[in-house]
Amino acid sequence: MSLLSERLGWIVFEAETKRLHELVKAVLPELDGIVGWEQGFDALHATPVFVNREEDVHRLMWSPLCVHNLSGYLVKTPPFLPRDEGRKVGICVKGCDSRSLVALEQEKFLGRDRLHIFGIPCEGTVDWRRVMKKIPLRGVSSVRREGPELKVEDSRGVHSLPWEESLARRCLRCAHPNPLVHDVLVRDPVEPRIKKDEAYGLVEEMDQKSLEERLAFWSAELDRCIRCYACRNACPLCVCQDRCIVETRDPKWLTQKMGISEKFMFHMIHSLHLAGRCTECGECERVCPMEIPVTLMKEKLNQITREILGYEAGIDSQLVPPLLTFNPGEHEL
Amino acid sequence: MHAHNPYLPELATVQEVIGETHNICTLRVVLNDPEKMKNFQFTPGQVGQLSIFGVGESTFVINSPPTRMDYLQFSVMRVGEVTQRIHLLNAGDQIGVRAPLGNGFPFEEMKGKDILFVGGGIGMAPLRTLLLFMLDNRQDYGDITVIYGARSPHDLCYSYEFDQWRSGGANLVLTVDTEHPGWKERVGFVPTVLKEEAPSAHNRVAIVCGPPIMIKFVLFGLKELGFEDDQIISTLEKRMKCGVGICGRCNMGSTYVCLDGPVFTYSELREMVPEL
Amino acid sequence: MSGKVFIPQDKLASALERLNEKVPVWVPVSQGADRWGIDFKPFRAGMVPVMDRQSTALPKEVIFPQVQTLMTFEYVKAPEDPGRVQLKLEEPPEAGNALVFGARPCDVRGFFTFDRVFTEGPFVDNQYKDRREKTLFAVLLCREADEACFCSSVGSGPADTAGGDLWITPVEGGYVVEGLSERGGSYVQLLGDPATEEQAAAASRSQEEVSRQKVGSLDPSGVVQGQKDRFEDKDFWRSMVNQCLGCGVCTYVCPTCYCFNITDEMRHSRGERMRSWDSCMFAVYTQEASGHNPRPTKLERYRNRVGHKFSYFPEKYDGMIACCGCGRCIRSCPVSIDIRKVVENLKERSHACA
Repeated sequence: MSLLSERLGWIVFEAETKRLHELVKAVLPELDGIVGWEQGFDALHATPVFVNREEDVHRLMWSPLCVHNLSGYLVKTPPFLPRDEGRKVGICVKGCDSRSLVALEQEKFLGRDRLHIFGIPCEGTVDWRRVMKKIPLRGVSSVRREGPELKVEDSRGVHSLPWEESLARRCLRCAHPNPLVHDVLVRDPVEPRIKKDEAYGLVEEMDQKSLEERLAFWSAELDRCIRCYACRNACPLCVCQDRCIVETRDPKWLTQKMGISEKFMFHMIHSLHLAGRCTECGECERVCPMEIPVTLMKEKLNQITREILGYEAGIDSQLVPPLLTFNPGEHEL
Repeated sequence: MHAHNPYLPELATVQEVIGETHNICTLRVVLNDPEKMKNFQFTPGQVGQLSIFGVGESTFVINSPPTRMDYLQFSVMRVGEVTQRIHLLNAGDQIGVRAPLGNGFPFEEMKGKDILFVGGGIGMAPLRTLLLFMLDNRQDYGDITVIYGARSPHDLCYSYEFDQWRSGGANLVLTVDTEHPGWKERVGFVPTVLKEEAPSAHNRVAIVCGPPIMIKFVLFGLKELGFEDDQIISTLEKRMKCGVGICGRCNMGSTYVCLDGPVFTYSELREMVPEL
Repeated sequence: MSGKVFIPQDKLASALERLNEKVPVWVPVSQGADRWGIDFKPFRAGMVPVMDRQSTALPKEVIFPQVQTLMTFEYVKAPEDPGRVQLKLEEPPEAGNALVFGARPCDVRGFFTFDRVFTEGPFVDNQYKDRREKTLFAVLLCREADEACFCSSVGSGPADTAGGDLWITPVEGGYVVEGLSERGGSYVQLLGDPATEEQAAAASRSQEEVSRQKVGSLDPSGVVQGQKDRFEDKDFWRSMVNQCLGCGVCTYVCPTCYCFNITDEMRHSRGERMRSWDSCMFAVYTQEASGHNPRPTKLERYRNRVGHKFSYFPEKYDGMIACCGCGRCIRSCPVSIDIRKVVENLKERSHACA
């Protein structure tokens, strides 16, 4: 498999990728396919891939550029699910992605028994925009991790960046790098970067601001929103799909206007629909072409959920999410 | 070329609203500007966008013929937001009209030929404009047979005109899906009645409009009767917005239904990408 | 022509301030201190243009705003008969002039696609035409092509000046600017001091060097047939775009995507009819009032998107491809779908068929 990185010069964790290939080959006949990642159009991008033939298994890879949470494919139209009772589909998940599977199972969108989960303990995913901001690259030919550094080779030479500075914001606040559910692990578990209590630093920072400052912050951020709804479509728990409030005219919640109030309304409703459900995978923020920190809104709601209800979504498939149930004895509310 | 704002409708007044069926009504509309009404020209089969300002626009065929210009007539089935509001209109109400749009029927090429209209339900609307145009130019056309069907007698549009159509020189065959008390015409699905009537395909053009499932089986029937693809004409419906070939959504491949249609021969339809 | 001038890097902001007094200027600016993306915004004093990378969002907005009022309307009581309601329609005012500073060749090329649809009839979009005629482009010699770019594959190139009114060439320490059109030329003197011979020569060298570059290796010939051959091949489209999320990023960051929606908004008795960018990737785009949708899944939607750009548009408009090769749909796609790969595969399959 060394060919893979030689041929493409792309960041591939060879040992993990090789192991993944072995594990997939071993069970592929029992699966109706597997969704994982393959190399994308350049050295800084991977792309999701659906594999159901042994000759395509070599396309699968693992690297910190495998940024996508693939669990949404299991529930969004057309759902990637086994055709028959008793069959399974395979899915590759990082720690964060595995929490989406748990949450979807909690909400009965998925049956655990329909999945064969390839869990990948993750040391963080690379945010290509963050890398480009630090090093304006031209013609990237290879990207790799060397100890504490990310090494990038482009037309002008080799550049390095501290590993932490190349990571996505969601990864810097990740307390669950190891998949919580899996059938096999592709590599050994890794140490969490932080404890869960430390994950809400940015929320606390925002809370220190005055209402006016917060309004100014969100106005400036949301002003850039182009209403492409990538955040909605990438969210594995945004399950209304083609029945979204942004598209219904009756009742009409939103107009097509580009004002802050329309955009704010959409993002607020998106966030509120995820209150107590969001697993903070950060996909909404990752996919935003305008780099709006939209996960932050969900983080705030999750922080409240934790404080008031002591609940964290996507951890235990046996728990009922607090906003999906009603307990007359609840006195904290 | 139209140099003005192509999205700006003409203001118009609803002259009369006729209830056709439980979910179809017919509007008779007059443009507010008498000059524009007087000079309004169109081809049978062309469409118009009706505006309810504050709600939106929707596309309907102008189902009155250009030979009868006291008003422009549109028949509207209640399905969506705009059509629901249209159904609430009364005589005297103000609406907007953008018309004529689209291509219309090739009525010149049909001269000297026998004609077969096959319509189902609201699908009679686009046929009506051409039928009346032909009846008003009766000498230009040969036999005119109309097969028109609906679920029940209450679902037939323009029933108050059937006698006029007959006296004007149309061989009108009416049918409903099932027996109904007092119904004296045919009973059976349109494709079946077509088979029974079996009009000769020789020197004849068939114009078909109705629900997709009816069209599908009528096409089989016409083929059996010996109709060639270019002897069969139909009209397409798509979700439209601009109506003038710009906004992009009503395409089938490189064909824009709003601009190049809605009228197509079956041979043209077969050339287009199958995205109905 | 008024010759070439030189704008030192540190004088760019003040040059734009002078220009902005004559004509409202749009410039590419950063989306925020720790953001990678840049965006075209109306120039304000103190803004620092970012000229070293392609913008994420587009100067398309200048000529084709994301939301635009087509008309306003008001229901009023008829003066002679208060029981009757009349309608008053008003068209929006004409647009003002604008100059887009630092647009890249692909940004300008995009409007060539618009022009065919919006100005050639049979119906002419007067609002588009108005803004198009009143907007000038100071086009930047592009030296920043990346792995997603393929402008040379679709009839353009990094030194393309088509549609430009001014030409900006980055040189050591600043920019050499020259006029391309008469209107553009009239602003040249305003921007800086005449370029020295060395500066002018450096600019020419850079222009020659960049114009020799071939950005991208896509060959779009044969795609029209491929689209026809593979139109109903669901497995093919699934293998190409099964990972699509069905969001609107690719269309909203595309310089040639022009499809729009029209909606009404009303409060009390007044309102407006407006058009807003729409996306063929959205489910409701073609969904009819009855609920029927001729493009029910992402496969049909993507098929139409690639078909529109590489097959249907060329069929309708003398072979012109409705793609300027800017690569934004590839770069901004949340799942990195590569339209070049789809086009290449369409072709290959069609060769295989033949």
